[in-house]
Amino acid sequence: MRPRRLLWAIGVAGVLLGTAVAVLIAVSDIVDDHASNIMAALLIGGSFLGIGLYAWGTRPRNRIGPLMVAVGFAWMLGMLQCSDLALPFTIGLLMSPSAFAIVLHLLLAYPTGRLGSGAARAVVALGYVDVIAGSLAYAMLARNPDGIENAPRNLLLVEDAPGAADAVLTAVTVLGLVAIVSGALLLVARWRAASTPRRRTLAPLLWTGALLLAFAAVMLAADIAGSEDLEDGFSVFSVFLLTAAPYAYLAGLMSSGWARGRTMGDLVSGLNAADARPGVRDALAEALGDPTLAVAFKRHDRDEWVDADGRRIELPADRAVTEISRDGELIGALVHGRALADDPVLRRAVADTAALALENERLQAELRARVAELQESRANIISFGLAERRRLERDLHDGAQQRLVALSLQVNLARAKIDDDPATAAALLDTARDELAQALDELRELARGIHPAILTDQGLGPAVSALAERSPVPVEIGPLPDQRLPSPVEAAAYFVVSEALANVAKYAGATHATVRVAREDDRAVVEVVDDGVGGADPAQGTGLRGLAERVAALDGRLEIVSPTGCGTVVRADLPCASS
Amino acid sequence: MAVTVLIVDDHPSFRATARLLLEVEGYDVVGEARDGAEAIELAERLRPDLVLLDVSLPDIDGFEVAARLTERANGASAGGPAVILTSSRDPSDFGPLVQESGARGFIPKAELSGATLAALLG
Repeated sequence: MRPRRLLWAIGVAGVLLGTAVAVLIAVSDIVDDHASNIMAALLIGGSFLGIGLYAWGTRPRNRIGPLMVAVGFAWMLGMLQCSDLALPFTIGLLMSPSAFAIVLHLLLAYPTGRLGSGAARAVVALGYVDVIAGSLAYAMLARNPDGIENAPRNLLLVEDAPGAADAVLTAVTVLGLVAIVSGALLLVARWRAASTPRRRTLAPLLWTGALLLAFAAVMLAADIAGSEDLEDGFSVFSVFLLTAAPYAYLAGLMSSGWARGRTMGDLVSGLNAADARPGVRDALAEALGDPTLAVAFKRHDRDEWVDADGRRIELPADRAVTEISRDGELIGALVHGRALADDPVLRRAVADTAALALENERLQAELRARVAELQESRANIISFGLAERRRLERDLHDGAQQRLVALSLQVNLARAKIDDDPATAAALLDTARDELAQALDELRELARGIHPAILTDQGLGPAVSALAERSPVPVEIGPLPDQRLPSPVEAAAYFVVSEALANVAKYAGATHATVRVAREDDRAVVEVVDDGVGGADPAQGTGLRGLAERVAALDGRLEIVSPTGCGTVVRADLPCASS
Repeated sequence: MAVTVLIVDDHPSFRATARLLLEVEGYDVVGEARDGAEAIELAERLRPDLVLLDVSLPDIDGFEVAARLTERANGASAGGPAVILTSSRDPSDFGPLVQESGARGFIPKAELSGATLAALLG
């Protein structure tokens, strides 16, 4: 059945039951004051039923509505004990205390409809067991329940035992008192723990409920003490409070809109006053009465959350998270206690109001994150530069310098031999010439590693072609950009290709590689793909790490996909403003 | 009798050239070592008069090798080898290390000749 229809059906059933109860009381011989009993049945029952249905309709997932409807039905069924017919009378006898147990449940479950703690569940269970078992036991033992004269036949009666029935009644009353007092204490504790906006919502029903429980407790105590006067006096008040309870809830429903308005007002003025950095968070925490509230910002350049200082954070799994979007883009999140999560309307309103202020803070947080990254990247570039210089010194020392030393010695020797032993001198000079040629080769290679001349003079295309020609593994060249790129981008792209091809030759065991450089809007994407053994780990080789630094220095990203056995893809994504 | 020499250097082209040069100058090159460990082992076995020792070796640093070779010589009655350090770097790059190593002296590689060696050996 669709929810709306269900509500209508329950409403119609309630009206039918109310009519039946009113008629049965009107024709009953066992009550003196027909009018006030009918009034009590219809006013209290009808109020709970009507307002319960309204609450159910407006907040379908909140159990307060169904609970109020249940109170309404239980109350009207309980009033059937005014009837002088056996069946309605017996039903009324059984049901009359149950409304109080449901009211206790309702108060403790307010405003979410859920019983928050084990203690609350225990108190509610005690209430239900007390009224169900108690009234059943009492009905089985009392011929004239509650001392009603000329009562109709009690269909549940097993044996008339007035003494035992009184004992049951006392036990039921004492247990009921225990449940009510414990429930009242829980309500007080709840009030003390509640946040400011929460109190605004709790106030109307909680105060009515607390008073109701207090009066009910006094009544039950008076019952035990046998003070009829006190009992009668207080019962008038408690009927009044019971009637007031659903209206208090209605007021609560209405005022939660008003409380939201207050919260939003606080928030807006707090946000306007918040020009310093912790301002927005503090304004939110204060307006929502949640001092633990934290704000997380979504970086827009990557899938990452940061705090106001730009430090990377993870969203906690054990707290409620409200995402905040602006113009359809997720910009941040509020991390808060569960209490706020109970009011989705307020949450949404807060999120929407905070969006603008948070957008500004997010830019600052992102800026801080970027600064931190740049500092780190600058340090990396410096250490990378130092390592590069050490490598160059080593290469020069081990390569060209050694050859030139040998060359110098050979020339000395040849000079010493040239008169006595011209043949040996000529052989020495031949060796020296080879040594010189090799020294030149090594110097050339080294210079190319520092910055290849062909790249400066001819651009990326010819430079990449030259790399491909020198590669021992056949390289196919895919599309390359036909226009020059900014020179730092060209250099980074060249070294990505150079290092990747060197790795292909050294480690990949590949038969074939492909190089591609594509200009995509304001980015250049460099890709080197091979069909080798894969398994390349950027954390291992200094070459790939150095490349990552070089690429990061341009704000680009280096990606290496190298599943074992499936080849390697080295892809660099380099931003390049139009050259 | 010719002075016996052990050449220690990790670059084969330098070892070959130095051998040629020293042999022309009348020295007897009895062995070549590629690193510090091999140098110590061969010096022990061949007992050369002179060890021409490169400063930059792949395993043990040349100064350390020099210290070990000369330390052993001081304790032994027969007398150890004279150690002469060499490098393609300038001696000023090494500060006081040459002095402290126990070596007889230092010759830049490009200046290696019988005459420079003889001058240091005295």
